[in-house]
Amino acid sequence: MANDGSNTGTLAPAESNLFEHRHLDTSHYQPSAYAPATTGSEAVSWTIHNSTANGIYSNPTYQHDQHPQPPGGSIQDGQNVTPVTGNTSNLGTANVPHDYSAYTSHPSSGYYTSYQQQPSHTYSQPVGAYQNTGAPYQPISSFQNTGSYASSASYSSTYYNPGDYQTTGGYQNSGGYENQATTWNNGTYSSYSSQPYTNYAPDSSGSHSSGVAATSVQYQQHYKQWEGYYNQTEVSCAPGTENLSVTSSYTSGCPIPSATSGYATPVATSGYATPKSQPPQYWRQESSSSIMPSFQPAAGNSGGDHDGYWKQWAQTSQIHQTNPIQPTYQSPLDLKSSYDKFQDQQKTTSSEGTGLHYLPPPPPLPTPQQVNPAPLQSAPYLDTRQVQIQTNPRIASNLAYGQPKTEKDSSTTSVAQKPAYIAVSLPKPTEKVSSGGDANSILKPGMFPKSLRGYVERALARCKDDKQMAACQAVMKEMITKATADGTLSTQNWDMEPLFPMPDANVVNKDSSLSSTPDSLLPKYKRSPRRSKSRWEPLPEEKPVDNPASISNDSVKYSGWVPSENDRKVVMENKGSKEDVFRNSKFSLSIQRTPSKAPQRAFKKQRLADASFASENGDASSDSDKEQSLTAYYPAIMAFSDTPEERKRREYRSKRFELGQGHRSENNHFRKKNAGAGNVYNRRASALVLSKSFEDGVSEAVEDINWDALTVKGTCQEIEKRYLRLTSAPDPATVRPEEILEKALLMVQSSQKNYLYKCDQLKSIRQDLTVQRIRNQLTVKVYETHARLTLEFGDLPEFNQCQSQLKTLYAEGIKGSYMEFAAYNLLCVILHSNNNRDLVSSMSRLSGEAKKNEAVKHALAVRAAVTSGNYVRFFRLYKAAPNLNTCLMELSVEKMRYKAVSCMCRSYRPSVPVSYVSQVLGFSTIVLTNGVSEEKDTDGLEECLEWLKAHGASIITDNNGDMLLDTKASSSTLFVPEPEDAVAHGDANLAVNDFFAKPTL
Amino acid sequence: MAYMSMGEAHRKITEYLNRFSNAVSSQDGTSFKSLFTISSNSHYLLSLADALNLFQDYNRLIKQSNNYSQIVDIVTPLFRSLQNYRQGNLVETYHAFEKTANAFIQEFRNWESAWALEALYVIVYEIRVLAEKADKELASNGKSPEKLKGAGSLLMKVFGSLAGKGSKRVGALYVTCQLFKIYFKLGTVHLCRSVIRSIETARIFDFEEFPKRDKVTYMYYTGRLEVFNENFPAADHKLSYALKHCNPQSEANIRLILKHLIPVKLSIGILPKDRLLERYNLLEYSNIVQALRRGDLRLLRCALQDHEDRFLRSGVYLVLEKLELQVYQRLVKKIHIIQKQRDPSRAHQVKLEVIVKALKWLEIDMDVDEVECIMAILIYKNLVKGYFAHKSKVVVLSKQDPFPKLNGKPVNS
Repeated sequence: MANDGSNTGTLAPAESNLFEHRHLDTSHYQPSAYAPATTGSEAVSWTIHNSTANGIYSNPTYQHDQHPQPPGGSIQDGQNVTPVTGNTSNLGTANVPHDYSAYTSHPSSGYYTSYQQQPSHTYSQPVGAYQNTGAPYQPISSFQNTGSYASSASYSSTYYNPGDYQTTGGYQNSGGYENQATTWNNGTYSSYSSQPYTNYAPDSSGSHSSGVAATSVQYQQHYKQWEGYYNQTEVSCAPGTENLSVTSSYTSGCPIPSATSGYATPVATSGYATPKSQPPQYWRQESSSSIMPSFQPAAGNSGGDHDGYWKQWAQTSQIHQTNPIQPTYQSPLDLKSSYDKFQDQQKTTSSEGTGLHYLPPPPPLPTPQQVNPAPLQSAPYLDTRQVQIQTNPRIASNLAYGQPKTEKDSSTTSVAQKPAYIAVSLPKPTEKVSSGGDANSILKPGMFPKSLRGYVERALARCKDDKQMAACQAVMKEMITKATADGTLSTQNWDMEPLFPMPDANVVNKDSSLSSTPDSLLPKYKRSPRRSKSRWEPLPEEKPVDNPASISNDSVKYSGWVPSENDRKVVMENKGSKEDVFRNSKFSLSIQRTPSKAPQRAFKKQRLADASFASENGDASSDSDKEQSLTAYYPAIMAFSDTPEERKRREYRSKRFELGQGHRSENNHFRKKNAGAGNVYNRRASALVLSKSFEDGVSEAVEDINWDALTVKGTCQEIEKRYLRLTSAPDPATVRPEEILEKALLMVQSSQKNYLYKCDQLKSIRQDLTVQRIRNQLTVKVYETHARLTLEFGDLPEFNQCQSQLKTLYAEGIKGSYMEFAAYNLLCVILHSNNNRDLVSSMSRLSGEAKKNEAVKHALAVRAAVTSGNYVRFFRLYKAAPNLNTCLMELSVEKMRYKAVSCMCRSYRPSVPVSYVSQVLGFSTIVLTNGVSEEKDTDGLEECLEWLKAHGASIITDNNGDMLLDTKASSSTLFVPEPEDAVAHGDANLAVNDFFAKPTL
Repeated sequence: MAYMSMGEAHRKITEYLNRFSNAVSSQDGTSFKSLFTISSNSHYLLSLADALNLFQDYNRLIKQSNNYSQIVDIVTPLFRSLQNYRQGNLVETYHAFEKTANAFIQEFRNWESAWALEALYVIVYEIRVLAEKADKELASNGKSPEKLKGAGSLLMKVFGSLAGKGSKRVGALYVTCQLFKIYFKLGTVHLCRSVIRSIETARIFDFEEFPKRDKVTYMYYTGRLEVFNENFPAADHKLSYALKHCNPQSEANIRLILKHLIPVKLSIGILPKDRLLERYNLLEYSNIVQALRRGDLRLLRCALQDHEDRFLRSGVYLVLEKLELQVYQRLVKKIHIIQKQRDPSRAHQVKLEVIVKALKWLEIDMDVDEVECIMAILIYKNLVKGYFAHKSKVVVLSKQDPFPKLNGKPVNS
């Protein structure tokens, strides 16, 4: 979606990049998955869902061509809409200041700033694509803009408070990305930023700007909540805030769908909120998870955190439930209606849900703003919030619809829908305590009406264990937030409200188990293993990413990276808490790696999502294994992350990519790069131009691109180059200029290596020619060489490619062996396409001069022989074919022989000597009397005999010992045997042995 | 171009506009259609074009009267088209007329009845003809001719507006035929398939209810398609239908039909009378028919070579080439008859060398192996009944009906 973001920035081009979108999506998705990993495994799974759903759907919608996708697609479209972005930016800015102020008030101001940075970072990257949003944000971002970030910050702050948490935080990224000034902040938060970044990336596909806005909104809410929280109960507040934030995030997530559906119509804020929503959710989840560990040391509080966390989950699950209900919403057209419905649904959910957790923040939804010290924020916030809330269901719906196939969705939905409570008793003392405490604590303030409290108690009474309780709390929290958002919290008759179905405890439990267990034991380190889990797929990336295909995608992330590392160093130096930094760095590493891998798996999104889901939610067996491996792995990572070698390696890697794009690695450029990061996704279409534009800070609409200016001028001096299908814009450094290509052609022509090698080389030459738009005699020569080569090896598909290119090249008047290839073309049509119209048209196209050409004449004679079935003539022509006509004919020899033999068996009686058959059907040369040729003849005879036997002919021997073909007996027994050298892929030339024989370059 | 005063030009334009709006308001299809026939070079339209070139400010005239408000979109580009046509800018003519056509289709959709069908026919026809002319101009300027292709897709749009139920459906076949013409000209015959399918599967409308002229054209083109597919019975059926229903007055059309029907008939063993070939000036076939009658392979080959271009262009070359086998059959039959006259008891054995010798006389240079192969093929394809004895190099003919006639069936392949 980062690409999308770029699109939005440019406004128009959205359609242009179908591919890019997908790529982006994939990349985003993976990042999203990662992000969750950092905070909590659960979060990860969620994010994946959302992201995948959005990304997948959105992409198609963008392009319009592909599948009409339900809601998700529409949603993203909405996000794409530029107006939305504008709104987002506005919101973001507006929010930022507010948040900032709020933060300052807080004791952990330092954290906040850091947070802000993080958000900004995240923004910047997604925004990068969107430019519009990005521009406004970034400036602000360093301090204020982070409004959205601030939310993240809020997480971090909670986390950080525990202290351990910070290490887990994003650390490097944030610093690297945007704000170098706040070095220390960066250090701590960088981890966060990285996470958000990842999250955002997924968002970006849908609507970056919107996403950002949403985050900002959410953050604000968080802040408010926090404030409220602080006021009320210090410790408990943290969890409460978190919860709230979570809910808010949810709401924001909801808005995303709404935005998509509504697109322009919904208020800008809503639209914004919506896009962001999912990522924010993740964040919060993450934050919550992170918080949880931090709190755990704090005992009671930690429990609260968990609850909050769980509640969030539960909410998410509820959302899923709602989804099925809300199919109507997905239709983008009915924005308003959908909105209403959403609201209704939300209300229902909220009503159903437990209001338990909510207490800490100002109960009435609008009030949270009031709570905030900054009065200004209140109005916008309120709006955004409400909108978001309403929209939330949509998100869920989107998810459900969009990814019905993905296991996750199904699982989540099923979970949500199944009240059935599968109690998995996982002994987690801390959790239990905490949960119980939380619920109570939450309820206590008296913020909520009695009826609601009663409701909550009833709901909790049903719970048999902690997990259930946590799930319930999550559900109720959501309900309450919704109710508050709707303003029905106090008016609703909670006594009458039916209890919500028991949320599936599994999901929650798993989450909790993951988060809680490690937390309880060791806050920091254990947490890290969790992250590793989430990253766990990426983990293998320890090896530098070698897959060249993925480079382009990776590069974006890397660019993001590089700065982070620099920042990190700074942080290291400057920061007092080096441990934290280290941890951060480690984390960031792992995180970053994951994204790098993500692109590679673009097409495996669903799988990835599933996997991550499984891993995180503990989808049974596989999970445990993974966990173990992860945990085993983790220490290694830790060790790695700080070693200088590792760092060097990383730097090298990142630089490599940067160089590829011609970026400077200077800090000044970071931001631009980040902004451009989204564009990187677009590289395919407009890479060069865009990349240039990064530096200039100017974006161009795709359609405005001057392709001539874009044409690559290669600089590569290597003669040998492997063919690799381009998945992005070509890099001049790997493209060979014309003179080198000429040498390369000569090299291939004189090479003694096998066909596959030559084919590979020629294809790469062709690619370089195409990329540089060279169309001259060299091009013709290359194609001719390749065509001849393919003929020699009977590689018809490849030949056809060359032939069709040659046709257009000849048509452009470029000289070459026109006649020769006209003959090939004729033969091809005659022997292989068997289309009379084509044949007639290619015959009628032959000029009189061409008809006098030896090769063409031969081809025409072959045609005549084939149409009349004159096998004698055919095989004579076969023996006397000029050029490579033989090769083409050879491909139909088998067919001709079979036809000939069946004809003979029908017409000859009683028998035909095999020697005659052999001679007529081209097995042996024409019988001559001298000894030399006779020897050959016997070879041919043997071959013919074998061929006849293989085709079911019956052979008899006469008195003289001559072999005869018994025509009558054979006429009914002839058959075409399966070709012996048949290969699964249909081309014997590509047999496995050849693959192995392929030289390594 | 006769001198024309400003006032006269003004008068002419106004008169045209009046005619136009009157035709629309009275739904007079006949007079309506005559207003579009640009390429007919009618005196009326030519002088109108002169008037337009003289009186450039005709847009004001069009807009002046409320009567014309509906037709502005049609008439404005139409005037431009006329002007350009008069000045010989064919590409511009086509461009403007394309706009006219689009606007017309828009209006046409809104008209309940099919009163303007005739005018639509004219427009469809003009689109094709003007596109062809524009392509010629483009090609002469060294640009890629693509207007006809564009016309094809425009006509597909028109086809879509007719393809429903109701009275307008009658017009679908006319558009189809124009599409056929375009596709055959462009060589994108495969595009015909979708149109054919929608005509043949839509059973709402009986094929027989289409206008006869369209039916004939349709059958002619689909028959030609069957020739390409070498589906001779079907081709025979369709082309015969076209021949039967074709207006006997339009000899050119009959000739066109015969041009494809004769090879089809030949390949199923039915020979035309010389009179027919003479009457429709299809003498390129006369030698081929002669060769079939006589078993004269040389004549056949000469005839094919002489008219190769023509046959290739009409797409019957391959069909005619396949007549060779029938000529061989005839040759062997002749030999058989001669042998029978000499020695009835051994007449059923035809020595290979005799056939080779006969071919030598025809100056066809084939060695024994090749002739043997041909004989084997003749037997294999059931043009000759009997067998070939390799040892003695003799074709042994069946005593009963050794040379079965095709009788309207294609040669086994």
